[in-house]
Amino acid sequence: MTPDPIFRSESARMNTAAEARFRIQSPPDTHRAVKVIDLDTASASEITRLLGEVDEADLVLMLVSAGADAEAAARIGEACSARRVMTHTVIVRASAVSDEALSRTLAQVRPWSLMVVVVNDEDYVDDILRSFR
Amino acid sequence: MLRTDQNDLLTRTGPDTPFGRMFRCYWIPALLAEELPENDCPPVRVKLLSERLIAFRDTEGRYGLMDEFCAHRGISLWFGRNEECGLRCPYHGWKYDVTGQCVDMPNEPEHSAFAKKVKLKSYPLVERGGVLWTYMGPFESQPPLPEYEFAMVPPAQTYTSKRWQECNWMQAMEGGIDSSHVSFLHRGDLHTDPLFKGARGNQYNLGDMRPVFEVVESEGGLYIGARRNAEDGNYYWRITQWVMPSYTMIPPRGTHSVHGHFWIPIDDENCWAWSFDYHPTRDLTDAELAAMRSGKGIHAKVDANYRPLANKDNDYLMDRAAQKAGRTYSGIEGFAMQDASLQESMGPVVDRAKETLVSTDSGIIMARQKLLRAIKAFTEQGVTPPGVALDHQRVRSAAVVLPPDQPFKDAAREALIAHPGVAPASV
Repeated sequence: MTPDPIFRSESARMNTAAEARFRIQSPPDTHRAVKVIDLDTASASEITRLLGEVDEADLVLMLVSAGADAEAAARIGEACSARRVMTHTVIVRASAVSDEALSRTLAQVRPWSLMVVVVNDEDYVDDILRSFR
Repeated sequence: MLRTDQNDLLTRTGPDTPFGRMFRCYWIPALLAEELPENDCPPVRVKLLSERLIAFRDTEGRYGLMDEFCAHRGISLWFGRNEECGLRCPYHGWKYDVTGQCVDMPNEPEHSAFAKKVKLKSYPLVERGGVLWTYMGPFESQPPLPEYEFAMVPPAQTYTSKRWQECNWMQAMEGGIDSSHVSFLHRGDLHTDPLFKGARGNQYNLGDMRPVFEVVESEGGLYIGARRNAEDGNYYWRITQWVMPSYTMIPPRGTHSVHGHFWIPIDDENCWAWSFDYHPTRDLTDAELAAMRSGKGIHAKVDANYRPLANKDNDYLMDRAAQKAGRTYSGIEGFAMQDASLQESMGPVVDRAKETLVSTDSGIIMARQKLLRAIKAFTEQGVTPPGVALDHQRVRSAAVVLPPDQPFKDAAREALIAHPGVAPASV
């Protein structure tokens, strides 16, 4: 007799919707510490304060407008690199911003960002943060 | 992570769901042309977006795609007789043409007009590039036929396969834009697979195992750039294209063909993984075609029903010795089943409320958010979603070396557009 396909293998048994009900119901509580800094508006003192908090961070997210000065990314990135903290930069590009202006910002953030996202709408920032929980 | 309601929104594509209605804005691949090889050949059962359909090719060579079940007593027309320009139900002889119109009702009085009042729901089915495409939305909103480059080049320059994947389409599609898994899951195959090996770009991959990613919005979806160090301070970029809702193009390697996927829902727990390889300027060689047909590259060995020979019933032919020796990273052979085995293990529909994403998942995060925004705009304001316009479809992936401060979207602008007869940008 041919065995029921569902019993042919471990993978077949375990990949069903019925079995999915028995997967762990609670995700791990990572208590991930995310520090967000808006490079467009952050003052020197705010950046200095953030540098003091990098030790406790799991992720530092830098927010900057395309064409804006992102020189502070180097200070932040250096501190994160020394402490092995993930750096993530979101560049918001308004439709009128030129390629050259975006290039300038990219040149400042790329050496210090392990992930760069270029978006046309600032609303994505909240969605990205919520995705990290 | 996603909230449960967002996860439901993205994973449900039946006819009465918000995403189901939006998915029906697009032409989607329905069958390989080889599945209906000649006039009056056997009909083929098709399930798409949770709808049971029957496809057939009539005596005049016209293609039809319609409700699988006879309007009379609900018999599957897969049992039907494909004859004299119509598909005839074997139970009582009702016969339908390719538009779903009942044209003969032999158990009614001769010359009865009742048959004219019976029409099965049907959709257009059109061959392009060896693929039979369908559009399942409202007639008045039907867009022009799709113009993805793989389907537009001469037949000798393109090859397409499909395989059944036993999980929700989003799980499969997200794998297609998850660039960071390549350095792990597929590392054993880059130098041995005949459709990948030998490219100079492979050396950049080898020399820098920690790529840095950039995700940039495009008109039709996203560019996902993976950046590695090259000579003289330059960057080697591999730029993946994602065009909404489910078209992905993998960056090419050297002079190899260009490849990518479509991920099409069968229902909410199964999908078709379509895989294509093409070259814009030359015929595929016999060796390349033989490799693709034997399941190399992004293709898979499948049975007559397009189910992979390595599947969950045989534990995907797991080879622990190969895993231990490093011949394959996961113990599963071939790019396609390396991906599918893991994605199916997530369950039929993964619960994204329980996942723990990190920064390198930003391509996936952005794709979800763009889809959610498009569904909202389409549902609330009737906005045509990205990916319907032909300009959004005429794109290419690229592999390029650029100066360190260049935005790849702009510096490689022409390389990311499909120009007929122009070689791909590849390293």
